[in-house]
Amino acid sequence: MSAEADSGKTEIRYDYEIRLTGLYEEYYDKIARYAYVHIGNKTDAEDIAGEVFLKALQSIKSYKERGIPMHAWLFRIAHNLVVDYLRKTKKHKLVPIDNVTVEANANPVDIAERNVEIEKMNRAMEQLTQEQREVLRLRFFGGLTSREAGGILNKSDGAVREMQRAAIEKLRKLMVAD
Amino acid sequence: MDNNFDKILDECVDRINRGESLEQCLADYAEYAGQLEPLLRVILQTKETYSFLPSASAKNNARQRFNAELERLEQRRWEKQPLLNRIFARPVVWATVAVAIVIFIAAYFGFRPMLSPTSPGPSDVVSPVISQPSPVPDPEGNFVFLISDDVNAIEDFTSVNITIAKIGILPSGDSAEWLEFDPEIREVDLTQVKGEKTQEVWRGNVPVSQYNNVFIYVDNVSGILEETGQEVEIKLPSNKLHINKSFTISTDSVVSFVFDITVIKAGKSDQYILQPQVSDSGAQYKPVEGKGKGRKQ
Repeated sequence: MSAEADSGKTEIRYDYEIRLTGLYEEYYDKIARYAYVHIGNKTDAEDIAGEVFLKALQSIKSYKERGIPMHAWLFRIAHNLVVDYLRKTKKHKLVPIDNVTVEANANPVDIAERNVEIEKMNRAMEQLTQEQREVLRLRFFGGLTSREAGGILNKSDGAVREMQRAAIEKLRKLMVAD
Repeated sequence: MDNNFDKILDECVDRINRGESLEQCLADYAEYAGQLEPLLRVILQTKETYSFLPSASAKNNARQRFNAELERLEQRRWEKQPLLNRIFARPVVWATVAVAIVIFIAAYFGFRPMLSPTSPGPSDVVSPVISQPSPVPDPEGNFVFLISDDVNAIEDFTSVNITIAKIGILPSGDSAEWLEFDPEIREVDLTQVKGEKTQEVWRGNVPVSQYNNVFIYVDNVSGILEETGQEVEIKLPSNKLHINKSFTISTDSVVSFVFDITVIKAGKSDQYILQPQVSDSGAQYKPVEGKGKGRKQ
């Protein structure tokens, strides 16, 4: 490879690194939330969010400008890390109520109500298909657009919109019935 | 269910993600309000049930690991470069060497007209910097670039001189290109710009835009320790110190951007390190009417 092409690649990589740095503030929280809804452990979700940025930096060479936007690419990395985590820990996929942090001075009645709410939501979420759950995680907690979520799930944005609507309707019915 | 409703619901999800209220969305789609409202309430309920704000300490720790990795990669890239590239990457050193060679050749051959004021100067002939359309200094410009030093280990020194070879700012947008310019004042003694003090190094006009990254290219750094009076090495992890900080150049204000640099002492090695201080860097805006007055220096 010529020195010129080499230097061009280095410049592109350098620009990608700067863009990745720029995404940190906004997307760390979103990725942590996305991971939390998956694995139900706040500390591990924070670790995964940090790990996503390190992995992205180390594999920035594999990022393709013409593929999905860089922030959506981060969620693809997050998804892979979450899958690894779940395989290793064989833990539950939804938020357990004993993991819910409450304010130190919170009212016990509020805590109990919140736990009931989470249990109810967990039961409803479990009735959705895996793909529907992933659409809701990427859209509600990752803040991705339907097109970006579709890029990760290899679906068209129309298919994502349809899955999203079906998932929300099903959640509603289950919540009302419960 | 028709495709149009899927799109409306989708748009409402986006708007709620951006912080808009359920009512704002319902008002815009009054004819669908009956169908939309229960679904939007489910969205809000789901987000609320699983709400979680990561801790600031976890975020900061992860950020430090990320920055350390970034520096490690940059250092490795620098070390991998051939020697010639490293020399070319230091424009001031290269320019000085090149100018010296040209002067020597000119003197040797008695080719004096080349050095006359009407001919192009030596640096014009051999400057290694490929000139891009870069902003020119202007005392009435809309952008002021200043250097400051956050007080860390700077108290250990009687002087810390840095030589700035280049300043760059990056407009927002995927296809944006760096806008680079040479500082008018290249040498800054960081001991003179501690805390709130600043040193203006460039003032001029830059295009109106949103910018989100800034770098300075530090060519040389030398520090004299107060305790010994001797020069001590201050490590420069990378010649290119960059920070990610947004600011906006508009027609109605003058932007003063303070690039804060700090000298820190690494715990175990007692090594002094020069690094940008993102938290203390940033832009200040002054209305155009007030420009040039009351500037803190």
